[in-house]
Amino acid sequence: MSFVVRMLLRELRSSWRRLIFFFLCVAVGVGGIVALRSVIQNVRVALMAEARTLTAGDVYLRTDQSWTDDIRAIVDERLREIPGIGRTETVDTTTMVRVPGEGRVRTKVVELRGVQPQFPFYGRFELGSGERYSYELLQDRGALVGPELLTQLGLQVGERIAVGDIEFTIRDVIVSEPGRQLGGFSFGPRVLVAFGAVEETGLLTFASRANRQLLLRVPDEAGVDPLVERLEEDLREAFVRVGSYRRTESRIERNLGRTENYLSLLGFVVVILGGLGVWSVTRVFVQQRLRTVAVLRCLGATTARVIAIYVLQVAALGLGGSLLGVGVAQVALWSVPASLTDQAVTAAGLGTLSMALTGSAVLQGVAVGVLVSLLFAVVPLLDIRHAKPLLLLRQGAASERRGVDWLQSGVVAVVGVALVLVAGWQASSLEVGLYAVGGFAVVAAVLHLIGRALTLAIQPLQTSTWFPLRHAVLNLTRPGNQTRVILLSVGLGSFFIIGVQVLQSNLLSNFALELRDDSPDMFLIDIQEDQVAGLRATLERRTETTPQLLPVLRARVTGVEGKTVQINNVGEARRARLGREYTVTYRSRLEENERIVAGEFWSEEPASVPEVSIEEGLQTERGLSVGDLVRFDVLGRPIEARVTSVRAVDWNDSRSGGFMFVFRPGALEGAPHSYVAFMKGPADRVARARLQRDIAAEYANVSVIDGLEVIRTVRRVLDYVTMTISVVGGIALFSGTLILIGAVAMTKFQRLYESAILKTLGANTRLLTTMLALEYGVLGALAGAVGSVGALGLSWVLTRQVFEVAWFASPLTSAGGMLLTALVVGVVGVVSSIDVLRQKPLATLRAE
Amino acid sequence: MIELKGVSKTVTSGGEPLTILHPLDLSVPSGQFLSIIGPSGSGKTTLLGLIAGLDTPSTGDVIIDGVKITSLDEDRLAQLRSSKIGFVFQFFHLIPSLSAFENVMVPLEIAGSPRPADKAAQLLSEVGLTDRGHHYPSQLSGGEQQRVAIARALANDPPILLADEPTGNLDSKNGQLVVELLMQVHTSRNTTVVMVTHDAEVAARSEVLLTMRDGRTDVSVPSAFPRGAEEEKAVER
Repeated sequence: MSFVVRMLLRELRSSWRRLIFFFLCVAVGVGGIVALRSVIQNVRVALMAEARTLTAGDVYLRTDQSWTDDIRAIVDERLREIPGIGRTETVDTTTMVRVPGEGRVRTKVVELRGVQPQFPFYGRFELGSGERYSYELLQDRGALVGPELLTQLGLQVGERIAVGDIEFTIRDVIVSEPGRQLGGFSFGPRVLVAFGAVEETGLLTFASRANRQLLLRVPDEAGVDPLVERLEEDLREAFVRVGSYRRTESRIERNLGRTENYLSLLGFVVVILGGLGVWSVTRVFVQQRLRTVAVLRCLGATTARVIAIYVLQVAALGLGGSLLGVGVAQVALWSVPASLTDQAVTAAGLGTLSMALTGSAVLQGVAVGVLVSLLFAVVPLLDIRHAKPLLLLRQGAASERRGVDWLQSGVVAVVGVALVLVAGWQASSLEVGLYAVGGFAVVAAVLHLIGRALTLAIQPLQTSTWFPLRHAVLNLTRPGNQTRVILLSVGLGSFFIIGVQVLQSNLLSNFALELRDDSPDMFLIDIQEDQVAGLRATLERRTETTPQLLPVLRARVTGVEGKTVQINNVGEARRARLGREYTVTYRSRLEENERIVAGEFWSEEPASVPEVSIEEGLQTERGLSVGDLVRFDVLGRPIEARVTSVRAVDWNDSRSGGFMFVFRPGALEGAPHSYVAFMKGPADRVARARLQRDIAAEYANVSVIDGLEVIRTVRRVLDYVTMTISVVGGIALFSGTLILIGAVAMTKFQRLYESAILKTLGANTRLLTTMLALEYGVLGALAGAVGSVGALGLSWVLTRQVFEVAWFASPLTSAGGMLLTALVVGVVGVVSSIDVLRQKPLATLRAE
Repeated sequence: MIELKGVSKTVTSGGEPLTILHPLDLSVPSGQFLSIIGPSGSGKTTLLGLIAGLDTPSTGDVIIDGVKITSLDEDRLAQLRSSKIGFVFQFFHLIPSLSAFENVMVPLEIAGSPRPADKAAQLLSEVGLTDRGHHYPSQLSGGEQQRVAIARALANDPPILLADEPTGNLDSKNGQLVVELLMQVHTSRNTTVVMVTHDAEVAARSEVLLTMRDGRTDVSVPSAFPRGAEEEKAVER
């Protein structure tokens, strides 16, 4: 074995420079995996430490309706069995606050929470003043508010805000609070007041949106799970969600685990790209080492020993690259600015977040790096078997090869399976691994085919009369060319980047579409029946448009007697994915964005039973159809309605809104309901703010949602998403460039000889540079074209199938991406060949 | 002892069978210095490749010290080469990434020799390159590279030394030096030497001359061979 080890060390001494790209390719991918996994694992550790803080109690019961006497009785009876149990209630609603006083036009949508003295059971508030939180701060109409409310309304602690008819004094600022869900969407800043004060504001009308929560503290931790199970059983038929911090814990655990695995899969994709680089570098390396191998064989070394030398070399480089990747990950995490971490930590309501690498992330990253290096290197390394010592007597003797190489085919199959296993391990699911590797293989195959077609398409250029162009094209098809490898690696990189850009411009144009001049941009919710006339008059006067006021009710499906679907209770409805609360309306005519695909939208004859029209999706995805009988619970009142029509709704045109269930007028008028209004608000900022203020002052229970603000928020989220994908695409492109440089560098020796001959035949440096630039420019243009075509496909699938919005081709982005790729590849090609161009021909020829 | 029995080589060229070596019986006793001479394309190198087991004959058998090498697999052949055959090539074929010293060490290491460094140093001194051991092949002249190659070929004290136009790539002075070295090896170690050359002057110094033309052979004793002890040895056999 000592011979193998010694040869390994000697080979490394001379070949590490040639294999540096191998090294870097692995390092980039491993760095990605290690950094992503470490961050998520740290977040998980931080979250687990505070799971109870996130729920603020051991067990919670939540409902978006009032606690009925029945439910209270059931809960009271159950809790009586457990001595020493603590209970406290909270109520949450979204509402408007305004600044009281003459001439002040400032209003803001906030999330109002009322709490009782015992809240919270776990965790603690952190206040701006540094004082300890106590319930006394909320007594006598005190309020604690999120810091952004103060800046947005220009207020200070000690000043007053008005909610409905009641004024509150701001006593302090909430820096962080327990019981706020991680990553939950928020309509506005938090305002915390005493539980009783929420009732006094008059906001909690029968139909208004409020979430009520009953928090329990269980004296014996072992009692948590049984209590949750019993309460769930007790409240099976009620619209109450029962849970515990343990469930939150396991849900967060699951979600984070999934995120970690999917992100690691992205890292794995980068490692695979690196693997492609490894493959290409190894292939050329083996070609250059064939003579050395032949000498070793001639001196008596067996094939196994020679292969062992190179396999060990790959393993050593893979390990080195992986360790470098770990270093890169550590540097990347260190260089995240502390302010950013603090922001994230506060937003998530966490105490501290470590930015250190975790042991398991490092181990996984290194293992994946070494495995992928070996897997991708082993196939080209097998070519060593064909290095016959006869090569030393006769050039070209080694290239004779006949028939199918079964060993190589077998190894390719084993490598494929192994890659699926590694991907499956990374994603913690064999299925996902299979899809990832399969998807990758399909994308690679498609890119390869496109590349082939394009290479054929440029064949006519071989007869060009322009010398540099002719030779550039000929070089792309000469034996031992790197065309396929560069097309694949750079093509995949540009595929990611251009794909993300096209997708982004698509999503943005869809949002622009929704902000057309006639689109509504202000929404009023929770309008009471007796406020409709007055509000309509106010709006008509102030906006000079006719606002649409639609009656809405909140309803849940409790049963279905249908042709294909039978649902008997709430539990079954949940399992049939019909368990959510639907906002429903009633009207006599179709809206502009609707058309009937089945049945009849209210027949001539008067209805004998309540009738309902369903949206197409309920038919295709939930199995409801015309003639089915659906039982609803409309805020406690049961209503049974027959499906008489199916509507297709154009969700892109939301000016008239869209509803899953539309009732025939007559059935619901008696049920408790409220109205919503869509309208185009005043364009002027001040007029807009004034209108919001006036509505808030006059109709305290009505919330105004400013569409412009929502769209801004969505844009921001979209920007984050785009940035994240761009970073991944950037890493992919970076690896692509590395592979490119590696590929160019590897063929340098061949090039040295060629350019020496051309030079002796009279070619000057300028001609050679033009040739190189053309060769790589054409290659880059091909790779860019491959990427662009792929990107169009990707963006089409994502916009149409995932986001379900309209798709636009964006020719500028595609063409720009292609040109940029051509330019980058051309420049990299020429720059990495500079020493080839500068080498004196005699030295090269003499060395040969 | 090298024996060839009915060895021939036919390849397919442009769809037509082309015989580059006609059936040949040859026996090279231990300790003989045999030169193969002939014009380009006459089959010299093919014959050497067959003797070394680098190539397989179309017909016939090659037997080295009683072992029929035509029936050995690649790894057995490698072992055989490691222990019995040393090689010297026209283009030296030193491993460019290894120093001269390391190049000489490699076959010793492959064979698992106990003290490869000492042996390599001794061999380098025998070829007069003690002070050049740490140089890489690209830093050595052609003659020096060929001397390193000879040292490497002798590393495992092989009973047979095969040389493929060892002087073909050298100037006459360096060529002379290399031939002297090979002669010296032959006499001092009693090594069987088979050398391909197209230099008649070099060939004339061998004991037996195999002349090749269009794949056919003719064995003779060169007239220019120095008479004396060497001659008697040749006649005895």
